[in-house]
Amino acid sequence: MGLDRRGFIHLIVGGAVGTLFTPIPWKFADDLSIWTQNWPWIPRLKHGEEARTATISKMCAAGCAVNIRTVGGRPVAAEGNPNNVLSQGGLCPLCAAGVQMMYSPSRLPGPMKRENDSFKQITWDEAAALLADKLNATVGKDGKLAMISGDESGTINEVLSGFAAALGATDYYLMPGDGQTSSRVWTGLMGGEGQIGFDLENADLTLFIGADALESWGPTVRNQKAFSASRPGGEKPKASYIYAGPVQTRTAAVSDAWVPVLPEGLASFTLGLCYFLVKNGASVDTRDFDSFKNLVMSHYTPDKVEKLVGLKPDTLQDLSRKLAQAKRPLVVVGSEFGQGGGQALQAAGAALNLLMGRLNQPGGMIAMPEAPKVVDAALDRKDLLAKDLVSYLMNMEKGRAATPDVLMVYEANPVYALPQSEAMAKALAKIPFKVSFSTYMDETAALCDLLLPTPHSLERFDDVYTPHGLGFSAWALAKPVSKPACDNLNSADFTLKLAKAMNIDLGFEDFESVLQAKAEQLGAMGGFFADEAAPWDVRSGAASAEAASDVWDGAQEGKAWCSVATVDQRALRLGAEVLAKAAQPSPDVSYPLSVSPTLQLNVGSQKVATPPQNLTTIRNTELRGKASFVQVCGQTAGKYGLSEGAMVKLTGPRGECAAKVHITERVMPGVVEAPLGFGHSAWDAYTRGKGDNTYKILSVTTEPGTGETVWTGSKVKIAKI
Amino acid sequence: MKEMQIVRQSGGALAFLAGVLAALVIGWWIFPQVLFSKQEQPIRFSHQVHVVGQDMACDDCHFYREDGSFAGLPTNEKCGECHEDVMGEDPAEEKYVTEYYQEGKEVPWLIYQYQPDNVYFSHNAHQQYDCTECHPNLADNDSPPPYYRNRISGYSKDTMKMWRCERCHAQNHVSNACYVCHK
Repeated sequence: MGLDRRGFIHLIVGGAVGTLFTPIPWKFADDLSIWTQNWPWIPRLKHGEEARTATISKMCAAGCAVNIRTVGGRPVAAEGNPNNVLSQGGLCPLCAAGVQMMYSPSRLPGPMKRENDSFKQITWDEAAALLADKLNATVGKDGKLAMISGDESGTINEVLSGFAAALGATDYYLMPGDGQTSSRVWTGLMGGEGQIGFDLENADLTLFIGADALESWGPTVRNQKAFSASRPGGEKPKASYIYAGPVQTRTAAVSDAWVPVLPEGLASFTLGLCYFLVKNGASVDTRDFDSFKNLVMSHYTPDKVEKLVGLKPDTLQDLSRKLAQAKRPLVVVGSEFGQGGGQALQAAGAALNLLMGRLNQPGGMIAMPEAPKVVDAALDRKDLLAKDLVSYLMNMEKGRAATPDVLMVYEANPVYALPQSEAMAKALAKIPFKVSFSTYMDETAALCDLLLPTPHSLERFDDVYTPHGLGFSAWALAKPVSKPACDNLNSADFTLKLAKAMNIDLGFEDFESVLQAKAEQLGAMGGFFADEAAPWDVRSGAASAEAASDVWDGAQEGKAWCSVATVDQRALRLGAEVLAKAAQPSPDVSYPLSVSPTLQLNVGSQKVATPPQNLTTIRNTELRGKASFVQVCGQTAGKYGLSEGAMVKLTGPRGECAAKVHITERVMPGVVEAPLGFGHSAWDAYTRGKGDNTYKILSVTTEPGTGETVWTGSKVKIAKI
Repeated sequence: MKEMQIVRQSGGALAFLAGVLAALVIGWWIFPQVLFSKQEQPIRFSHQVHVVGQDMACDDCHFYREDGSFAGLPTNEKCGECHEDVMGEDPAEEKYVTEYYQEGKEVPWLIYQYQPDNVYFSHNAHQQYDCTECHPNLADNDSPPPYYRNRISGYSKDTMKMWRCERCHAQNHVSNACYVCHK
């Protein structure tokens, strides 16, 4: 009996019916649904023991004290460390994203060298041999080797600058910042000693002039903690805050008052306040006080200040009255975006604090001892801060300074984050052999010939000593929380090893030993751990603390070493002669608007682009699609025919950029507020090509009298496109 | 004519039954064998040697951490307390010591009761139950049983399905709300 067509159909139907009584359809459907939930690219959790390791995150310039939560040894989240006084349990937006940035797609996988337009991965030994070869050719020839560091507060500068010095090079520069300008003014122009800081915690009235202290200036999280401690919820505020600057920044928004002042007029405004104090009999015991008095009484009268900065005399007088009435007033000056502010503003701010008798007083301006040096060959701190990178690069661009043969860049992005950035990038591009120690493929790394990635901040030994703005000396240690996620090597260890191979003795075998020596020297200075007593309470006499016995052990537990020691001044000056030339703005009719750049840490910093997890914190009036926004007030918008959302071109003397317009009364007339942190051309898909780079339109001028390079108050013209 | 019709009808029924039978055989016997791939553990670990021979207790290796989380299978850190170097003559031990411990690699053990990441299961909350109510008892086992991996879903054959969780919760008057297990 054969199987005919009808029989075959019966067989198939029987098979189908029979299948319904088997697990096949039900199991298949079930497993298929599970399969669709488990695509191979979905990351899997790593289970394991949960732990917390205290360290310092250096994603931001000041550094945040963090407890890194690990699961099975793998970092998963950053939490604030309440036992460390640097940030007191808080976190800035960059350090909050620190763990995520360990796994950023823009991380460099290992040492690489350029081959035409791409990079080829090489071994660390090959990289060291290649660099040693290039460096040997520069030995003893000053000007042939230059280094740029993006870390203002770390001991790694001693290793790198000591190495440079041993090779006969003196061109070692930090990326620009207010800390350097403050040092140049205090230890240079004013003949002072030590590092200037501000005891915010003990002040009862703080006037921020320019410095956006609660958003991005100085040790931001500590500033925020001081602010919140003085404004307890439901209680009477213990301190008042006033912000003076061209934009109602986030600092201004929470202060008791915002005084709009043009960015180029901040020094004149400050000297205008000095006028009232001097008029009321205030004086400072310096040789040039009479010259200073003559200067402010003749050139910074309320009427003249009104002409210079457009501020009503009554407003200025009312402000000076508040300062006079406060028991512990404090003036904190700085650039709105933490760099390029000029010496006149810093000198005027220091003079105002001195006139109020606030030097080395609780709640005042504090002159603190510098960190002890442990690498003998390294640059002294004062000399390090005195060097001006922007001036050096401008001279190189104009052919006034020799172009080095080798440039080494540590954790800095000068191609992106310097004023008139396109011109700066051209100057840097002329250097024949460029080396980057960046963790990420930033704009500078993309231009370099040799990439020697240093581990992420949470994967290495590092430290931070008294970031600019802190009101007490502090030192904290960063230690590796996990092994580097990529084939990275600590730049300090690499340098020490390279030095040894080149027969240069820097006195240490590895960076951990350098930091141990630093801890030992700090221990010899006295000081205490801040978990025993808050340093501001020790300074005011409200608490006392026993001297720290073993700084290294305590630092490894995540404690910050602190000191409230002050430095007495011997031959202080007010710099009156220089101020007379430097402080007054000069109008430029070709470029009628002043740019006020805003640095918001959620968007990024000089050296870090926007972390992917922070993208959702950017408002649609800051970035929409591929366009970033500049902000102007209604009066400025009306004057130039601008409407909300209009696309405009901002043109400065050395560059231009495009943006959309947002109209807001947070910006004073005659000013364009422009965000920093957008317009990256490297990094990753999360940041590349989003918005335009405001650094392009910041133009550098030379401050009369001081020769300081200045780019606050950069001038632009605006046109619809 | 009529005879031919009867033959056709019976032939049709036979074909139908043959189809049913074939489907049942494939569905109940062949399909389960094809669906799961049989895999062996990377190291032939003997519970018998450790539990009986060395008098070790279960929670010497399968313990709760200080924070209450369950350690699950021991890692090199735990195994290395004894097996820093090869102790005996068992090739499985030698393989572990030389290929994993001394190389700093964790053993990729195959987890019989593997649950996906979207299931939040707390061993601590189920401490009152005996381990063997959910896990096979391997305490006397000299050679680990084969691991059967579902070729479609990728899960272990022994992965507990959600209906079993729900049934036990219902029987013990514990909430079966989604968020209890899926955070």
